[in-house]
Amino acid sequence: MIVKQVFSNLKNLSYFCDKTISSFQKRIFHSTSYYFRDVVDRREMLRSLPRPDEGTAGERADEIDLMMKEEHILFPTKDTPDKLFDGIRFKDLPIFNIRSSRNNTIISLTNNKGSTELIRSCGIEGFKNTKKGTNIAAQATAITIGTKAYNRGVKTVRVRVKGIGPGRMSSIKGLQMAGLNIISITDNTPVSWNPPRPRKQRKL
Amino acid sequence: MRHASFIARTVFVQNNDVEAACRVLNRILGREGILEQYRRTRYYEKPFQVRRRVNYEHCKALYDEDMNRKIQFVLRKNRLDPFPGCS
Repeated sequence: MIVKQVFSNLKNLSYFCDKTISSFQKRIFHSTSYYFRDVVDRREMLRSLPRPDEGTAGERADEIDLMMKEEHILFPTKDTPDKLFDGIRFKDLPIFNIRSSRNNTIISLTNNKGSTELIRSCGIEGFKNTKKGTNIAAQATAITIGTKAYNRGVKTVRVRVKGIGPGRMSSIKGLQMAGLNIISITDNTPVSWNPPRPRKQRKL
Repeated sequence: MRHASFIARTVFVQNNDVEAACRVLNRILGREGILEQYRRTRYYEKPFQVRRRVNYEHCKALYDEDMNRKIQFVLRKNRLDPFPGCS
């Protein structure tokens, strides 16, 4: 008897619940899914992602040390500025300046005095927003500006890179693909051991 | 002091192998701690972070030194052919 009553009560209750829920447009609440998420912490997620390409391949490669000891790798000497490359003195060679940052790559061609002749960036090339900051964009830009320079008669160049970013290595590769003869690669990243106070850290 | 441009931090490309030259350059910059300093100075490092980092580096250097000494001790050899039958 009692059981029957309870049943009927339950029935009533469920009917009542149904009614109220339908009147609230039946929302579904998930209380367990939060605990079943794969990634709980955003920092942890960022750590698990592959590191972005910074164009600094070989930074921690020990085998290069051995290679540098064994093989004869050419570094500039006192006489380098007057050395001839394709009939031009080293100090008179045109310079390709590559400024690579996290979000963009800017490539410019200057003469040996430093006055700009050509300039091109991934943004000008047609890549917009995050696509600017990719190595593919940098390579495409480098090929475009390299071909332009080649048509102007610039065949032998030296390269000066500044900053670390995805375009650091791929743009040099692009210049070579455009048919230019690259003599030397110089790093010109501005680094200070007592800089002015940088901006505050990003909140992750 | 500014270094002479195209003398300092410069690597010549040999046999048109640009990638190898890049890697050598990166390795030199990495070993000298230039890239590390560049990355560190992108954002302000708070004093407590500096303290923690410096202490950690200090401890790590001590540990590495001791561990290297131990490894050398275990690997020490006092015979004409140090590894018989392996030559």
